[in-house]
Amino acid sequence: MISRRALELATAILTGGFGVAVVVQSLDNGIGWSSAGVDAGTFPFLTGIIVVLGSLYNLVRGLVPAASLANVPIAITPLELRRLAGLFVPAAIFVAAIPLLGMYLASAGYVFAVLAIPRHQSLPRALAMAAATALALYVVFERMFQVSLPHGALAAALGF
Amino acid sequence: MDNLSELLHGFTIAVTVPHLLLMAIGVLLGILVGVLPGLGAPNGVSLLLPLTFGMQPVSAIILLSSMYWGALFGGSVTSILFNIPGEPSSVATTFDGYPMARDGRPTTALATAFGSAAFGALIGVILITFLASWVAQVALAFGPPEYFAVYFLAFASFVGMGGAAPIKTVVALAIGFAIAAIGIDTVSGSVRLTMGVDELVKGVNFVVAVMGLFGIGELLVAVEEEFHARAVSSKIDWREVFRAVGRLPRHSVALLRSAAIGCWMGITPGGPTAASFMSYGIARRFSRRGRYFGTGEVEGIISPETADHAAGTSALLPMLSLGIPGSATAAVMMGGLMIWGLNPGPMLFVDQKDFVWGLIASMYVGNIVAVVLVLLTVPVFAALMRIPFVVIAPLIVIICVVGAYSVSNSYLDVVMMLGFGVVGYLFKKLFYPLAPLVLAIVIGDKAEDAFRQSMLLSKGSLGIFFANKLVTCLIVGGIALLLLPLVLQLTRLGRKPAPSANETTAQEKVII
Repeated sequence: MISRRALELATAILTGGFGVAVVVQSLDNGIGWSSAGVDAGTFPFLTGIIVVLGSLYNLVRGLVPAASLANVPIAITPLELRRLAGLFVPAAIFVAAIPLLGMYLASAGYVFAVLAIPRHQSLPRALAMAAATALALYVVFERMFQVSLPHGALAAALGF
Repeated sequence: MDNLSELLHGFTIAVTVPHLLLMAIGVLLGILVGVLPGLGAPNGVSLLLPLTFGMQPVSAIILLSSMYWGALFGGSVTSILFNIPGEPSSVATTFDGYPMARDGRPTTALATAFGSAAFGALIGVILITFLASWVAQVALAFGPPEYFAVYFLAFASFVGMGGAAPIKTVVALAIGFAIAAIGIDTVSGSVRLTMGVDELVKGVNFVVAVMGLFGIGELLVAVEEEFHARAVSSKIDWREVFRAVGRLPRHSVALLRSAAIGCWMGITPGGPTAASFMSYGIARRFSRRGRYFGTGEVEGIISPETADHAAGTSALLPMLSLGIPGSATAAVMMGGLMIWGLNPGPMLFVDQKDFVWGLIASMYVGNIVAVVLVLLTVPVFAALMRIPFVVIAPLIVIICVVGAYSVSNSYLDVVMMLGFGVVGYLFKKLFYPLAPLVLAIVIGDKAEDAFRQSMLLSKGSLGIFFANKLVTCLIVGGIALLLLPLVLQLTRLGRKPAPSANETTAQEKVII
């Protein structure tokens, strides 16, 4: 179970961290006024400062139990968390597998895995859908729009 | 009447067999994403975007805008038949549309919704036809300070009128600006904010951001709740369609009022969602049958639908004439314009007459095509709702992954897209608005350039933003909008110590 407060805090820290990174990085480009006009770092520096300040405000708002937050103490229930993981984890594995397997094999494997393993579809149907996905990708992108999708290290090793 | 002859010329471009075919495809795809929960107009348009890179700009925009119309119509179908809004902007349609359909009048509800939606869209297009070129002409005289002032006003109105928590809007906007700044600086040529990753020199393409924020993010929000599609009958009785449309003129006051609200909210970046809610609320207050609202009142369907479509259509006006999109979908389309090599803004009306008027003419035709197609296909798409979400979800993930990759053949983009998905989920969950974030990513560079050019003109003095009446008005208006939430909060605190939080959370939920 994840409380609304924890989620607010985590997000505020995330945005604030991004803001700090932007501020630090933009200092390299110089801030302020030079002979060439406004320095390249100025605008990002200002936006970074705004992000940091805004995140701090949201952080404090998240800590102080305001009336609107008290209404929804629980943001994500355990069941919802499981459903989220059920979608996101396979998707992340799919993305991680692309450099090795290539887009076609990875997407076919991904479709097959999410349909067959939790037994949403029968094995042959899941297999057919996986094959259809890879084939559709190939026809639409490689043939019709001439966009080459990654073939993967495995295919390269096999000489494709 | 210069505009009319230009418009006629536009029709000769829009009404050709290939373009009509594209409209039909766009509308059907649009209805599809509109019907499927977890996919909406902004995701649909961004998913389709990579496929348009090789097309003629006119054909591409006709495809994308038709998809937009289709999505707006499709969202209403599920609202009425399933009580599941396919789009955030059709939430208000469920209030009276579903009760009416449940009472055995689904055809009446659908026909009323489509009829009033078409009316709203028509008013929006007429507004664009007559106002857009005029606004563009005024804007042609703009220099960098005026441009910066207009951008500033647009960003400020998100903060002041967007409806989400103001500080969260500010954070979303500023993050968008920072993301837009990543990569090579267009003025000095120096490399900025790469965080040590060399590949980031090319910058973060907005398509990658949009795919993640809207595609994956929305999917994660949708997967949390299980959808139970319990449809009322989706058979269409054609005679009832004409009868329901024939009864619409009786509600002309509601129609005109809702169209006016919609157009206003579309041009200012209030967006279709806010427009439909506002219109519904006002109709309930002023209608003589206001207390029957929520039980299947005709005006309860007319008001949100008309405003929704009027806002969705007129959101394209500032995009075309000023280069400032009025909604998230318009922001995505504007990104497309830039990728196709067009420069959104007043110069479009001079350099790209065929494009602009072809698009405007296609809006008239496209909406007619959309009404016809949506009526014909209601049973088909209603059946689609029975496809389990577990099958659709991985397909959407694959489309997002392939789309993000094909933007610049970069694996890093795919990983970033997934990261944006998590951010999109968190933002959506905690009511950070996504539209200003996308808007800032798309036009952040231009706003910055305008600012720096103004500074060069004035040799570093901010006085240039108060140099003439126009600029001063725009800047002062922007500052006023920025301060508006603060003022409202102070007056509320002064009147009563405990503001009711229930209302805000209910409305917060539907703001993108």
